[in-house]
Amino acid sequence: MKIKALALIFLLLAYVVIVSWLTRYMEQRPVAIKLGYTPSASALKLVCGDQRHVLAEWSILKVIFYFGSLTDKRPNSIASPPEYYNMFKTVETAIELDPYNMDAYYFAQAAFTWEVGHAQDVNRLLSYGMRFRTWDYYLPYFAGFNAAYFLKKPQDAAMYFKKAAELSRNTLFTNLAARYLYEADQTQIAIPFLIMMIDKSTDTTEKALYTRRLEALQAAQAIQKGIEQFEIKYGNKPVTLQELVITKILSEIPTDPYGGTFYLDDKSKVRTTSKLAPVNTGQNYSPIIKP
Amino acid sequence: MRKSATLLLAQITLRATLRDRVLHMLLGAGFFILLLVPAFSLFSMRQVQELAITLVLSIISLFLLVSAVLLGTSSIWRDIECHYTASVLGLPISRTAYVLGKFFGTAFFLSLSSFFLGMVSSAVMALAAAQYPAQQPILWGTFAYAVFFYSCKYILLAAVALLFSAISTSFFLPVFGTIAIFMAGSASQEVMAYLSSDKVVQLSAVSKSVTKALYYILPNFSAFDLNVYAIYSLPLPLFGLAYTFAYFLVYTAIILLLAAWSFAKRELT
Repeated sequence: MKIKALALIFLLLAYVVIVSWLTRYMEQRPVAIKLGYTPSASALKLVCGDQRHVLAEWSILKVIFYFGSLTDKRPNSIASPPEYYNMFKTVETAIELDPYNMDAYYFAQAAFTWEVGHAQDVNRLLSYGMRFRTWDYYLPYFAGFNAAYFLKKPQDAAMYFKKAAELSRNTLFTNLAARYLYEADQTQIAIPFLIMMIDKSTDTTEKALYTRRLEALQAAQAIQKGIEQFEIKYGNKPVTLQELVITKILSEIPTDPYGGTFYLDDKSKVRTTSKLAPVNTGQNYSPIIKP
Repeated sequence: MRKSATLLLAQITLRATLRDRVLHMLLGAGFFILLLVPAFSLFSMRQVQELAITLVLSIISLFLLVSAVLLGTSSIWRDIECHYTASVLGLPISRTAYVLGKFFGTAFFLSLSSFFLGMVSSAVMALAAAQYPAQQPILWGTFAYAVFFYSCKYILLAAVALLFSAISTSFFLPVFGTIAIFMAGSASQEVMAYLSSDKVVQLSAVSKSVTKALYYILPNFSAFDLNVYAIYSLPLPLFGLAYTFAYFLVYTAIILLLAAWSFAKRELT
């Protein structure tokens, strides 16, 4: 009994010594942080059965931790180029396993647009997700942002913002949709969309915001029609908007409810100095939402 | 007489199962991991509640899978090994009643476990959801359906295990046969979907026919998977649930009939 107790004490002491050596060794040992290859979703679906949602979430967490390790460099880590391709494939696999997984879309949006410049691929994933997360306005909002900011595709941006606006009834998305439809020369679609949103709205502030945008787009459309008439009549486009008034096509240049002034750009497209965003000139603009 | 004998044997099977220490450990581990779910679910960036539901359903599924395989495969085989079957069948009890008693005892244990794990899971989910409420609220009815259909799925698997146990003289066929059937039955819907897609061009007509035949013969376990509805609070397809439940009843009845029939033919020495 006494020998056993002594042996136990000796072993415990030996353990304490060894574990401290081991800890120091493990801290200094070079670490290669790798993500590696993820098997295809079709193959995984065959073997994981009803655990595919867990597997999808695990895959996403694996990518998040790996992505975190890229920014948080440890002194003993072995430098290797970031595995962006494997990261994207893993996220894609997770989405195929669980197309409702919001973490996957959120991570794809956060990591592959700003950092990697793959907004086109991210929008492909987001469009796929929209077929499943039919209630979620975040996906069309992300896609709209990517289309507008990274891809410079106002028509796609308008379509996504319109979808986000319909799902969320958020004034921001409605205004963004109308704005990008205007940018994409789709004012004729923007106007009925705004009229529909005004009809649906029960909030007076919201109605006022939409009405202001509607008035701005209707003004721009009226000028655009005047330009088309001018072109039919004179065979060329006017150089300035004043020509429309001088030729009596328009009685006056409509005012911009945002406080800007309409003008013609070098492609003869109707523009406004307000860029359809409130400009406080002290004359025309009055804020709808009081500060 | 048969009815009462079946019930009596079911009661005895249940009591024996409730005394099984391996299952106590499994259940304890299940409860312990369930309690960790609120902490684990915080790893998610945007879907804490959804991850909590995913994890609890996964734990329930794994516990029921292990229990169904262990109980279904060992019950008859263990009784024969311990010469318990000979003593029981010496009484005026038919072999069919014996098989059915074993099955109902196991099925009752799986249902009870589902109920208790489901209750603990609900508390865990409520706690996780309170930390970061999701866009969609938890649909408790849908979650209850998901757990209920899990219990149906694993009761069906236990019936398959019992069939192997009634046929086989060794422990290996019931265990590995049941696991193989479980894996094949879980994948059959995916294989069928793959076969129906445009991607398949090289597969011969015979292979396609054999695969299709297997699809109809094997139990379709993916029909019982309501995870996506419970996790993302989607509306349940009620007709689909009715079909699945009817499928469960009929398939289990066929398997039990085959198990009783093969056990009746078996020579017990």
